[in-house]
Amino acid sequence: MPKKVTVIPELCSGCRMCEMVCAIKHFHANNPKKSAIRVLITYPHPVVRMPIVCSQCKVPPCEDVCPVNAISRVDGRVRLDTSVCISCYHCVEACPFGAIYAHDDCDFPIKCDMCDGDPECVKHCPKGALRLIPAAALGESKRLNNILSYAQMKEIEFTQGGERKAIRYAEIGKEEI
Amino acid sequence: MSVKGGYFRKRLHVNLSSGTTRVIELDEDFLERYIGGRGFGAKLVWENLKQHDFRIDPFGPENLLVVAPGPLTGAYLPSSGKNSFVSISPATGLYGDSSMGGGFAVELRQAGLDCLTIEGIAPELSLLFIDNGEARIIPMPQLRGKSCLETEGMVETRIGTHDIHVVTIGVAGENRVRFACANTDWSRNAGRTGIGAIMGSKNLKAIAVRGHKDLPVYDLDGLIAETNKAVQYMRGHKYFRFWQQQGLMNVIEYANDKGILPTWNFRDTVFPNHDKINGEVMLDRYKIGDSACFMCPMCCSNINLVKDGKYRGVVTEGPEYETCAMLGSNLGIDDFAAILAATQLCDELGVDTISTGNIVGAVIEGYERGIIGLEDLDGREIRWNDPDAVLELIGKIGRREGIGDILADGAKRIIQQWPEMDKVILHVKGLEQSAYDSRAGASMGLAYATCDIGAHHTRAWTIAREMEEGANWTNEDRVKIVVYHQTLRPLFDMLGVCRLPWIELGLNERHYAYFYTHITGKEATLEELLELSRRVYDMTRRMNVRLGATRKDDSLPYKVRECPVLSGPNAGKVLREDVFQDMLSAYYAKRGWNEDGVPPVELEATF
Repeated sequence: MPKKVTVIPELCSGCRMCEMVCAIKHFHANNPKKSAIRVLITYPHPVVRMPIVCSQCKVPPCEDVCPVNAISRVDGRVRLDTSVCISCYHCVEACPFGAIYAHDDCDFPIKCDMCDGDPECVKHCPKGALRLIPAAALGESKRLNNILSYAQMKEIEFTQGGERKAIRYAEIGKEEI
Repeated sequence: MSVKGGYFRKRLHVNLSSGTTRVIELDEDFLERYIGGRGFGAKLVWENLKQHDFRIDPFGPENLLVVAPGPLTGAYLPSSGKNSFVSISPATGLYGDSSMGGGFAVELRQAGLDCLTIEGIAPELSLLFIDNGEARIIPMPQLRGKSCLETEGMVETRIGTHDIHVVTIGVAGENRVRFACANTDWSRNAGRTGIGAIMGSKNLKAIAVRGHKDLPVYDLDGLIAETNKAVQYMRGHKYFRFWQQQGLMNVIEYANDKGILPTWNFRDTVFPNHDKINGEVMLDRYKIGDSACFMCPMCCSNINLVKDGKYRGVVTEGPEYETCAMLGSNLGIDDFAAILAATQLCDELGVDTISTGNIVGAVIEGYERGIIGLEDLDGREIRWNDPDAVLELIGKIGRREGIGDILADGAKRIIQQWPEMDKVILHVKGLEQSAYDSRAGASMGLAYATCDIGAHHTRAWTIAREMEEGANWTNEDRVKIVVYHQTLRPLFDMLGVCRLPWIELGLNERHYAYFYTHITGKEATLEELLELSRRVYDMTRRMNVRLGATRKDDSLPYKVRECPVLSGPNAGKVLREDVFQDMLSAYYAKRGWNEDGVPPVELEATF
């Protein structure tokens, strides 16, 4: 099953380790700016640390705008063929997430290739903010979080074996519908 | 063997008075002997002092401000995002430096520079913009009166990109508050010794940097292997997760347990309400995210938001231990939300939280004792656990209003105004003391007294080891460990990396010699690097001696000598003057300095 790199921005600390390992893997360079993943940090309104990386779209806008068909989707990954690419950077501008990058020293746009299925960024993230999960599982944590914050959930605390625990339940029949 | 990589060999020199900039090639000898960061800074400041016959006004155009990352800064190794700001300090009139984390140092390196030096005074409030190594001075008078954060935003708008890093000063820096700091990335500060005031005196409101270059690492593969080992060790440490969660805030509980937490202006060392301001409280009610410096897996910084109550909407990165102790227990404040509000205010104004906490605490005690009268306080009372009055007073200091105008000049000026305050405020050489009580551990007293920038824990932080094994130590052991710390810890500042992986997670310091070797291509052992660091310490001492410091300045604050701790595990303890003087003599002897603490004058020829 094709897997995707997903980002949990709430966990990101902004250390930019992902940028560094990406640049080392693809360019053998100590230069965090030569990476296909970059952490965008804004504060204090809003407080966001967001690693931005290619989503490997099924209908990739970058593929659509490429005038020389250098971009194609193979095995669930959107690839950039640098032997065809003319570096017009139309893909960089077309990506709705800004997840394709340009660097002055590089001849081609920098785009995530998922390290052939074993992304370095995921392996090195010290916070677990980057995960590699099957596409079908996408959104699972959101769904889970969502039911936990469901408005009518109640919580009681109790002690079991000397340990404080809490249980959550839905109050039924007490709310006016 | 010589240095083959690691450096761009470029120093950018900016003269703000004439508006000119030039790039100076750094020679082999300089790189090898001073490594970077604090080493570069000390050497360049020394040269500048010599040129001016050792007469420099910290706020004059002649005072050189050195901004220096190290050869390891920005490289693939844990916590490599530090740089040093070095100058003659307006707080002490002596050598001063302060280091800063975040991403600015990395950007400066990527701009192709190893060092930035600034002299002169700009004709109007200005921004220094360095774009890939090319510098421009842009007058921006519209920045006057803006907070650090507002300034950062306005600079980004002016340059037209988010992809830069900016160091700014707040109103306090503009007003030359002698403990103003330089700020970057929201709340990373070069806090101590008044670096912000120096920038303010130069009419330099902000420095923005953009850089895209590869760092010249000599042996990248070797570095990668070494770093992966180090990071693996760190991630496997049993406190790694705990560290990520609480960061430096976990120290509150530790310090209270051990009886070293400054409370009510260092009167006591345990705080009854410590459980209202500790890391647990932060995790439970305030923390909304983590923040890390460049390449740091530990992410010691916490982002906190006050969600309800009087301070609702306060959001800040921090506080860490020092800030929380100095603005919390030291002022008797037991409301974590109020501490966050004070932290945010300090960040906005751009003042150092350690000095501010010290001074506000001293004012509260001074008022209580009747040394400072109500009319001195502009008619506004201030008491323990009085957040409103504290916030008001911090604002006055930053803006230099009323009593704030005196307080803004730091401990020395306060004592001049109210001589009795000498018994109330804790400082060494004019720099207010950090948040570890030194009566419990004599080595910490010696560390503060002999630190080259004043009473700061940056050079030696021996308190934790003394708490654990100090009972069996002789004073000779204490001297030995202080000197070792004062040699190793500044080495991190010279290399341009953070020392927390070593001190908090026990990462072996030998890794850093390997990092250095891989990056520069110059084979060096830890001992060789330590020797270089020791020589820089001799140099900063010679500098301080030339600027008038004597044995008398390596002193203990009155409270440490004369006022016993009130309660807790260290109740009744003081650090006796005679014991201290013996240690000090032993310390000088160990360093090869004479009885007055003067290193041999012949050393100057070797600097």
